[in-house]
Amino acid sequence: MGKVAVVDVTQTKHGAPYTSNETVRNLVYEVVKELFDETGLTRDEVDTIVTSSSDFWQGMGCSNVFYYDAAGAYLKDSPKVEEDSALAFIYACMRILSGHFDAALVVSVTKCSEVPSIIDLTGIYFDPFYLRWFGLNEFSVAALQAQLYMNKYGVSDELRAKVTVKNLRNALNNPYAHRRMSLTVEDVLNSKIVSYPLRKLECSEGSDGACAILLTSEEKAKKFTDTPVWVKGIGWSVDHYFVGDRNLLEVSSLKVAAKMAYKMAKVTYPRKQIDVAEICEPSTIQEILWYEKLGFCGEGEGGKILDEGITEMGGELPVNPSGGVLSTNPYVARGLIRIAEAALQVMGKAGRRQISNVETALAHNTHGPGGSHHSVIILGR
Amino acid sequence: MSETKPKIVKWDMHLPYRWSAGIVGTRWLEELKNGRIMGTRCPKCKRVLVPARKFCPRCFVDTTEWVQVGDKGTLRTYTIVNFNFTDQVKNPPYIVGIIDLDGADVSFTHFIGEVDLSNIEKASKELRLGMRVQAVWKPPEKREGNIFDIEYFKPIKEE
Amino acid sequence: MRKVAVVGVGQTVCGRRDDVNFPELIYEAVKKVLEDTGLTIKDIDAVVAGSMPAPMEGVNAPHLYWADALGAYQKPIIRVATCGTTGGSIAHCGFYHVASGLFDVVLVVGAEKMYENDPQATMTTIWDYTYDRPFLAGAPGVFAMQALEYAHRFNINIDDLAEAAAIISVRNHEAALDNPYAHIKMKITVDDVLKSRVVSYPIRLLDVCPISDGACAIIFASEEKAKKITDTPAWIKGVGYCGDETLFSDKDIVEWISAMEAAKIAYKMAGIENPVKQIDVAEVYNPFTYHELTFYECFGFCGKGEAVKLVKEGFFHKDGTLPVTPSGGVLCTNPIGATGLQRIAEAALQVMGKAEKRQIPKAETTFAHAMGGSYQLNSVFILSSKK
Repeated sequence: MGKVAVVDVTQTKHGAPYTSNETVRNLVYEVVKELFDETGLTRDEVDTIVTSSSDFWQGMGCSNVFYYDAAGAYLKDSPKVEEDSALAFIYACMRILSGHFDAALVVSVTKCSEVPSIIDLTGIYFDPFYLRWFGLNEFSVAALQAQLYMNKYGVSDELRAKVTVKNLRNALNNPYAHRRMSLTVEDVLNSKIVSYPLRKLECSEGSDGACAILLTSEEKAKKFTDTPVWVKGIGWSVDHYFVGDRNLLEVSSLKVAAKMAYKMAKVTYPRKQIDVAEICEPSTIQEILWYEKLGFCGEGEGGKILDEGITEMGGELPVNPSGGVLSTNPYVARGLIRIAEAALQVMGKAGRRQISNVETALAHNTHGPGGSHHSVIILGR
Repeated sequence: MSETKPKIVKWDMHLPYRWSAGIVGTRWLEELKNGRIMGTRCPKCKRVLVPARKFCPRCFVDTTEWVQVGDKGTLRTYTIVNFNFTDQVKNPPYIVGIIDLDGADVSFTHFIGEVDLSNIEKASKELRLGMRVQAVWKPPEKREGNIFDIEYFKPIKEE
Repeated sequence: MRKVAVVGVGQTVCGRRDDVNFPELIYEAVKKVLEDTGLTIKDIDAVVAGSMPAPMEGVNAPHLYWADALGAYQKPIIRVATCGTTGGSIAHCGFYHVASGLFDVVLVVGAEKMYENDPQATMTTIWDYTYDRPFLAGAPGVFAMQALEYAHRFNINIDDLAEAAAIISVRNHEAALDNPYAHIKMKITVDDVLKSRVVSYPIRLLDVCPISDGACAIIFASEEKAKKITDTPAWIKGVGYCGDETLFSDKDIVEWISAMEAAKIAYKMAGIENPVKQIDVAEVYNPFTYHELTFYECFGFCGKGEAVKLVKEGFFHKDGTLPVTPSGGVLCTNPIGATGLQRIAEAALQVMGKAEKRQIPKAETTFAHAMGGSYQLNSVFILSSKK
């Protein structure tokens, strides 16, 4: 793969009152303007701006029309990737790799406080002839996945709860995070059952937030930094549509996405070669399951490496030092935030959540019930 | 095409949304309650942008200077809407106009009223691009801090 | 920079397609493009899909709903959605997939099922909730306002303009009769148009596009692969995209800068300096007749204010100097998510010599355009039989 540099990242304080009080449009302006101010980049120098939002998650048809000029896109080439901002990042990479563009902004925004719940909006992922009538949603499918996993590998409720405890505690180090708190396993297990066996504190909640990333060609990167972060590998893939058509434990689309990204990045042994991972865990069971599909451990060992502290801040392969999606979930923007956090780790700019000696970081996002679609991005020096 | 008549499955979705008007947007709407149409001026290009907004889309800088613009203006263009769709705010026919308000550097969108619409062709002759129009406000006690605090703009004759 | 070509096209018949559900409609287009190219789904490296806002058909994240119909299982797939320019934007995305060097064969599909919802009601939500939504809701109104301002700025008599618009309507409707995929097929006269009901003054019913169900699929390929797949690839010589401010009332809607810019960028890349001389067929995005007219000027097909005269002279007719929309255009076929892609498909078929009854003789370089947003976004592609 050719060279694409990640030069700068900005994000809103996702839990701040200001973020909830402002409009989607003005939040986009904030993160883009901050990026211009920080880098000294002018709007003239931007060749393209790839944005990401979702019409349902904004309540507005053609959602990018609303914030188009707020993203600095007045008289610019600016498409919108729907539903998943990690894919907007990936598309921007392709634009730079084509040689037609030197500087690309990637911007995403979602305000979950303004829209119906995750349960409502993921409920309408399902087709109107068959699955929708059962009131399925993201968490009920995750629960189906949890049942399958528990049945096969016998992982306890307590162990799943540790994912929430870890991530929300990690978030205390992240000034941008939304939900930041010190919980016990009991706290998590005492929360109401949302979709058996998943409890409320095992499930992500909606957040408000925006994020922007500046990507450039190798040549252009020299203007901003001597030590750019490079995009080493990208991979993305999708599963079958009907829940019943899929193997919820195999999560083939994540395996395919990871394989593609690892191949490009020449990663053959993720556990040793990845120094930190920012992954998208809409619920606890999914973080455990994704460890396995990303090759951090063998099949059925996800619970074990969590339990042994391997994915804790001080462990061999820290996962979600930012707090992850259980902490911060502006639904569509979350993918870009994963990448931004991974980039900050490689840049050494992750403040109190910085993992030491990060050479290579992995970012991951997913959307679709039970993880239909996955994307994996490897960043490194 | 097949002989079987396809089954049509129906679904009515009610999805409640609650959008923030934002800090600047809130003030802009509250000022409408006060009978004032407010804009903000861009410090770079000096344009007065209406509705008042947080930044200039062309210069990409904060616009913090608030300026009141006139509630009279020139009709830049219009149309007479004559078709129906779900949740339409007014029953057709009605007139939508784009108005160059006095003191503003961008145009303003609103209804045009006090024009007889019993015959569309006739009405189109009554309206002229470049004619002067004036806002008709709701009485102060009826205003709610939304775009309909102005009921419509009416054609006026000016000396 | 890597060369990219369109190697195949698949279109469904458009209209009211109650015989298929959304994924089945997609499958139909995908099957057709695979047949057209002789490829199998295994040969596709990546997929791009797009349509109008998901609320239009009421299923969130439609690309997941379509995943199997697209043959996308275990493939990279991205959904791009940019209002009316969606068809153009997904083509851009497919183009950059190949141009990036990461993929060689990319499937792009745009589709819509407009009979499943009230399209105007969905489109209402496009506009700003504190300001212009109540007024601009209803796409015809927006373009009607442009028509009047255009006439005013260039001192054109409104009846003259209406007559030129009617000629455009007659031309497109007649062309659609030769297009097996088109939706509205009827023979009309200028008089029919001028007597049809006013929808949004001055636009009349026969000046307006229908709502349609339909899907379009295109396969883009790298140079190496293109040569193996077809003897007549349609090379992408120029691409351009540009967007304006969000608020309708901020903009100049007569001399539409983002349309001019999009064309300028594509022309520069393709080496087009004299559009009328160098372009053989132009598939302009034309949901409304008056609007089509103003685009001729934006794209440099004629000077400012000159379009009416040239329309009346038949300049843009099938046998004229620069044939426009021999497919019948959006005016006769409007599954919005597909429309921008259909313009590219038709432009490609022209240079491939596969446009059947709508073929313009010796079409070598063609122009394909898409427009969308609150009068905001424009996409241009230039295609050629010459590499």
